[in-house]
Amino acid sequence: MFTRRKTETIGPALRNVPGAEPHYNMDPWWWLVAGAAGIIAILCIFQPDPFRNIFLFVRNGIGVTVIVTVVSFIFVLGVGMLGGLGRLSKNRVIKFIATLYVELVRGIPLLVQLIWWYFAFPVVIQGIGDWTNIGFLSDYRPNAIVLAIVGFVFCYGAYMTEIYRAGIQSIPKGQMEAARSLGMSYFQAMRHVILPQAIRVILPPVGNEFIALLKDSSLVSAVAVADLTRRGREYMAAHFNPIETWTMVALVYLVMTLFSARIVNYIEHRSRFDR
Amino acid sequence: MMNEPIIHIENVHKHFGRVHALRGVNLQVQKGEVVVIVGPSGSGKSTLLRCINRLEEYDSGKIIVDGIPLDSAQNINLVRQEIGMVFQSFNLFSHLTVMDNLVLAQKIIRKRSKVEAHRIALDLLKKVGIPEKISAYPSQISGGQQQRVAIARALAMNPRIMLFDEPTSALDPEMIKEVLDVMMALAKEGMTMVVVSHEMGFARAAAHRIIFMDEGQIIEEAPPDQLFSNPKQERTKRFLSKVLDH
Repeated sequence: MFTRRKTETIGPALRNVPGAEPHYNMDPWWWLVAGAAGIIAILCIFQPDPFRNIFLFVRNGIGVTVIVTVVSFIFVLGVGMLGGLGRLSKNRVIKFIATLYVELVRGIPLLVQLIWWYFAFPVVIQGIGDWTNIGFLSDYRPNAIVLAIVGFVFCYGAYMTEIYRAGIQSIPKGQMEAARSLGMSYFQAMRHVILPQAIRVILPPVGNEFIALLKDSSLVSAVAVADLTRRGREYMAAHFNPIETWTMVALVYLVMTLFSARIVNYIEHRSRFDR
Repeated sequence: MMNEPIIHIENVHKHFGRVHALRGVNLQVQKGEVVVIVGPSGSGKSTLLRCINRLEEYDSGKIIVDGIPLDSAQNINLVRQEIGMVFQSFNLFSHLTVMDNLVLAQKIIRKRSKVEAHRIALDLLKKVGIPEKISAYPSQISGGQQQRVAIARALAMNPRIMLFDEPTSALDPEMIKEVLDVMMALAKEGMTMVVVSHEMGFARAAAHRIIFMDEGQIIEEAPPDQLFSNPKQERTKRFLSKVLDH
């Protein structure tokens, strides 16, 4: 923990980005990532049956998990920014829509949302297609991965909206006033002055959201997406060795989350001290 | 120096909720004039100043800046480009270096090239006496230096009017002079300035006119010699007796 010393205790000082505090480039917690990966490797080498088999079987699920997480997250960042600006908008209609969105989404469990998008949404589309006689809508066939991503973006976008809103509000009012008094429009001031500072403030919670999303992506196994968790279940169904299968799946998730946490930590430090 | 005033304020009223912050203010500022507004805190000095570039909106009355009425100004941003504003709390962009603080608005508002913007910025930083700090971040320089950068940032837009909202109130005593020196030089160059300040020494030396405000109204206005040595109003006398202790 010694790498973060002072900056943690003086939270608001995050705004004063260049604290010029020296830090160690190598995060000491990387050994934990290496340790978890090492355990997987050791198990695969010394107990190829069943561990190596399990790993090879779930391997393509890892790719699906990563794709769902990363693609969703990229959209979540955009939706969150729009939502955050909407929440702070002076236009009452926009503000109302953004607030309603956040309140609705936060009140429904993520799993239920994902199920709705996969099972209910296509029926709605097909129904609209039948009703309006638009052929390609009635013939709509759901793509599980796409709808899973839509579900995540919709849900996490709401949480991200609140993070952006808090980040923007944490920037002192004087920054906006100074930008406006130089003749910048509201959006120019947002883009060039407020958001660059707000993004530094929100980096830690945004990083946490990424890791939370990575873990929550396991919920897509309930809606026919062959992610890591679902592949684990399929292996289980065929071979019935729960301890080995789920230990392996858990270890693979652990490596991914620990690795992501290190990356987040690295980005945080870079944006805080350098330049 | 007469002619059309560059700032024309007519019967301006402003409420903050129940507080009647400005109660019918009338003020004319001529081109090249230096006006210092003094008065007790809560008297509406800063509010009046902020109304001039519409950081605050006023409820009724009329403000005309450089021939453009603010209430009907299609584009308030155009008016603001002609008015430089210096804040009590500096408000430098904390994610940008000193140089980039000066360059940003020049590039996106004045559409200057990078080279030109840099040249102008460097000239101004020399003028305010800190050319060696161009790559420092605001948090790495002193308050006095930050305020001088803020003045340079405003000047980089070539404003026709400069507004100062208590520019030295947040400064340590030994840094006040370096900021006042810059403002003094600016006044000598003929910049139109409206300054809200408690620095009576500066007011005496630089102002063409002192405005005394209390409770949202202009109580008295006169050239500094006259107002300081021979105030007409009872309230002005009371205020001055408290701030001019020798």
